[in-house]
Amino acid sequence: MSKREILLRKISSYAFAIYELKLYLDTHPNCRKTIAKMEELESKLKPLREEYVKEYGPLMSSENMKDYWTWVNAPWPWEGD
Amino acid sequence: MFVYEKRLQYPVKIKQTNPKLAQIIITQYGGPDGELGASLRYLSQRFTMPLPELKAILNDIGTEELGHLEMIGAIVYQLTKDLTQEQVKAAGYDAYFVDHTTGIYPSSASGVPFTAAYLQSKGDPITDLHENLAAEQKARTTYDNILRYCDDPDVLDPIRFLREREIVHYQRFGEALRLLTDKLDSKNFYAFNPSFDKKCFNSGKDKKAQ
Repeated sequence: MSKREILLRKISSYAFAIYELKLYLDTHPNCRKTIAKMEELESKLKPLREEYVKEYGPLMSSENMKDYWTWVNAPWPWEGD
Repeated sequence: MFVYEKRLQYPVKIKQTNPKLAQIIITQYGGPDGELGASLRYLSQRFTMPLPELKAILNDIGTEELGHLEMIGAIVYQLTKDLTQEQVKAAGYDAYFVDHTTGIYPSSASGVPFTAAYLQSKGDPITDLHENLAAEQKARTTYDNILRYCDDPDVLDPIRFLREREIVHYQRFGEALRLLTDKLDSKNFYAFNPSFDKKCFNSGKDKKAQ
């Protein structure tokens, strides 16, 4: 597995854990413990995302950092590369 | 609105071409209990949901299903992208191939194109939530059936992930139904349509104030 893939998998793991807590909060909006856990995971995800965008290009089109449109660059997620 | 994130919810990386497997997995793209029907079902039903928690859960699960649609598309794409004409014939993939080549088209395993008749948006949250509970179980059974025919670990892994999501969604929809019935008359939940007959949320005391 490439360094890029390892980093992307880390990002997806944190993002999934955060998403799962958000879904739980939809039906338990008063659960403060879950909100705190979510915030803790979000603080861990943020630097990983920043590192990825800097090294490998945007995950969202709003994150373009170069003077050309890197959004179009490979790989697209369904390509499995 | 929707904004795209350039990654899959769970990674899909398949090395081995397998059109036979693609032909059954396509059913979770556009078949009767597939991810396209799931996303359209929840994203359509959400408009008439009466409580904030219900709007949120339908909105968020409906959005997640779009991510699952993308994962299934990625699985079918990767299972067929390097197909040779001989493999098409040998695997019995020619019926799909003649209409779509290796394009990803929403249809069932038996080749029936996607139809909105696979889903309902009834405008009654009790009815809609029961449909959704059933839909999650039907999708879970379909994934279990796919797993019977699958021995490639690269495919097993994301399919198992998707199967698990059906169970989590079933749990959340169960909670949503309970949140709703907790606010209704326990002697007869079905006396009103909680979306259309909005007065049903008022207790006797509130009715006077209204």
